Amino acid sequence: MKKRLIPLLAACLLLTGCSSLPTAREMGDMALMRTMGIDTVPDGVRVTGSTGPRARGLEAEGEPSLVLTAERPSLSGACLAMQGQSDSFVFFGYVDQLLIGEELASEGVSPVLDYFAQDVELGLGAQLWLVRGTTAQEAVSSGGDEGIDQRLETLQHDGKMGIASISRTAGETYVDLMELGSAFVPALSPAGNETGVLLESGYGIIKDGALAGFLDGEAAKGLELLAGGGAADILDIELADNKVSAKITSAHTQSAFEFQGDTLSALKLTCEVEVRVTEYQRRLSDEERNALQGELERRERERLGLALERLRAWRADCAGLGVGAAMAHPAKWQTLQADWPDWFAKVPVEIRVRVTIQE
Amino acid sequence: MSKQSEANAPHPRREPRLPGPLSLVRLEEVFDGCVDFAKREVYLHGDRERKATVCYIDGQARSERLNDYVLRPLAQDPMLATAPEGQLFDLLEKGALYAHGAKRVSELDPVVFALIDGSCALFLEGRDDCLLFPVATEEKRSVGEPENEPALKGARDSFVESLRTNTSLVRRRLRAPELRIKERVVGRQTLTPVDVLWIDGIADPDTVALLEERLDQIDIDGVEAAGNLEEYLVDAARSPFPLMPYTQRPDRFCQGLLEGRVGLLADGISLGWVLPGTIDQFFKTGQDRAYHWLVASALSVIRWLCALVTLLVPGLYIALVTFHPEAIPPKLALSIVAAKQEVPFSTIFEVLIMLLAFEVVQEAGLRLPGPIGTTVSILGGLVVGNAAVDAHIVSPAVLIAVAIAGVAGYTMPSQDFGNALRLWRFLLAILASLGGLTGLALGCAALIYHLAGLESFGVPYLAPFTTGTRVPRGHPSLFRLPLPAMKWRDGAVNTRNRRNQR
Repeated sequence: MKKRLIPLLAACLLLTGCSSLPTAREMGDMALMRTMGIDTVPDGVRVTGSTGPRARGLEAEGEPSLVLTAERPSLSGACLAMQGQSDSFVFFGYVDQLLIGEELASEGVSPVLDYFAQDVELGLGAQLWLVRGTTAQEAVSSGGDEGIDQRLETLQHDGKMGIASISRTAGETYVDLMELGSAFVPALSPAGNETGVLLESGYGIIKDGALAGFLDGEAAKGLELLAGGGAADILDIELADNKVSAKITSAHTQSAFEFQGDTLSALKLTCEVEVRVTEYQRRLSDEERNALQGELERRERERLGLALERLRAWRADCAGLGVGAAMAHPAKWQTLQADWPDWFAKVPVEIRVRVTIQE
Repeated sequence: MSKQSEANAPHPRREPRLPGPLSLVRLEEVFDGCVDFAKREVYLHGDRERKATVCYIDGQARSERLNDYVLRPLAQDPMLATAPEGQLFDLLEKGALYAHGAKRVSELDPVVFALIDGSCALFLEGRDDCLLFPVATEEKRSVGEPENEPALKGARDSFVESLRTNTSLVRRRLRAPELRIKERVVGRQTLTPVDVLWIDGIADPDTVALLEERLDQIDIDGVEAAGNLEEYLVDAARSPFPLMPYTQRPDRFCQGLLEGRVGLLADGISLGWVLPGTIDQFFKTGQDRAYHWLVASALSVIRWLCALVTLLVPGLYIALVTFHPEAIPPKLALSIVAAKQEVPFSTIFEVLIMLLAFEVVQEAGLRLPGPIGTTVSILGGLVVGNAAVDAHIVSPAVLIAVAIAGVAGYTMPSQDFGNALRLWRFLLAILASLGGLTGLALGCAALIYHLAGLESFGVPYLAPFTTGTRVPRGHPSLFRLPLPAMKWRDGAVNTRNRRNQR
């Protein structure tokens, strides 16, 4: 029996996929990178990493965040160069926030996502942000001694709760690019004051791996309605003699195809929006309620229209409207799928918004 | 044969030990030089022509019984002076003396052992036999509370060192005449009576036969500790895990007999074994059937989880902190980094040293008298631990991991099982130090392999989980079902009657 055990254990070792045992490394010597920013430079890429606030010992004062920057022709070269800049072992396993500069995004984000997917320490679980109006290096450095990881974490959590931009991980973006050919990524830009705080700045649309453009304001809200994500928004409506504030609590858009014969004749969108009246001068009458409902439906239809107009211009169905509608027509979708971006750009779109008002 | 090799050779075992006919002279030769051997000559009712000699071992025989039941009638009963000499011995045997038993013996061997057991031997001049009267002292510890298995809700009696008291405690609970008690004598020098108990018709007769056979094969000097039986009855040398569950509580012992297991009691050892032992037996407590089934089930699950915690936490800590930091949540990682920065030792060294220190403090606490032991534990655990953290000798995370593992180990109802887990905890920590999670996983696989290879009296140690479909199962081992639903005895034990209620 013992003779059988040895080959069995050897087989177990092989099944682990490890050619050798892992290397031990003390955590006390590690600088844990939390945020990484990547820009393009003439000779390659510039990688900026930030640790966030650190503590030296149990009772000592907090140390400022460690920010390292390296420029190299490749991402791996830049990361390796950062190792040499620190007296600690730079560990990239905790990178939770990935910022990509606008210029690099215009050239293409696929190499960055590929690198994150293949690296042992990094992964596709990091939150992805596009930086507008400045470089990723500036954005990473803007947090000063405190770093920006807490600010980005807050934005991420707010996005999940529906009170900020929809947050996207690198993995979600990567999957969307492969399956839909396009993806949307929340964008950040610095506040125009001395604080340098990063603020939400719409969404960047990645088409075929490169930045196609940004959606701002009402168009960005329209994208949120299409994606069914964070849609929390306050709409102030002036009725005849009543001023009402309504909060959008949830939104969900369903898409459907309409065919004439075998030809796609229309893309129908049905957006269900739930709204709660938060403020009013006096209790709403039935007429006012109907008027409010109509006004809200008009506003949301406008938003959807704005977003769709831009997306169709870029031929980027990053909200997955085609895939969603295809569930009911799998056979016809097979013929449409290859040319769907073209169909998406030209097919007539019918938008229907249904608002439910809750007291 | 040289003197040295003669000393190293096993001495032959003789049966009978003292062969030959009985005589007072030979008896005195046997106990020559024994200060506690006593001999008393008595004239029967003052008749100088009729003399009896009473022999006994001082301290083994109870003096009041000897005086009142033997010596007083001999000295004062006029019938003994007038009865014909030919009938005198019959009269003494049949009731002239007040002892509850009398036995006529003509061999030396049984007389010697009867005297050691507390009887007295009565010799009459001119006869080559004697009468044995049981007048043994019954000095023993009274039945107290089980210190190792305290009862919050249930019986509070505990086994004592007296074997006959223990069997009576069992017999009082199991009044069924099917309760069988067989005795074997183990130990060449101690001659310790060891009793095998089972319920006829329920217990597996093969297990009983196997136990008796193994008891017969034990040829040792004496039974002074529980290990003297355990290590001879089961193949304990190859595993630190206990294969013979034991209890101090008669109620739990009887429950084991009712489940179809075979009991074992030894004179001088205040506990009883219940065989065969499977792993789930070491996670059960005497209170499991006393509490509500939901509470008992929750506590049972906690105990199983604690076994995993005490076994894995130090190794897991080493593996994660040293080899796989990416698996630690970021905020916890940051605090570990902060706490570790000023500690001069490696994490592996820290954990192993702290595990060792934990064992040292525990051992010191056990070896000292109660109040001092508590002080040592507090001093060692709290003061030194706190000072070590303040002085940056160890990081608090290591201290917490080792303390959690240690405290979780104390939830094991069986001290022996907890000790085995402590040993394996070290082994897994060392394997984790060598290969991270890979080493830890291999260590766990080795542990399961080891446990799967153990047997207790023909029953697999992991029987509750591994009996498969051929052997009928009893009831879940992790949970305690409501008692009306627990209608079956455990199938792996191979009881003759599986159903325990209507």
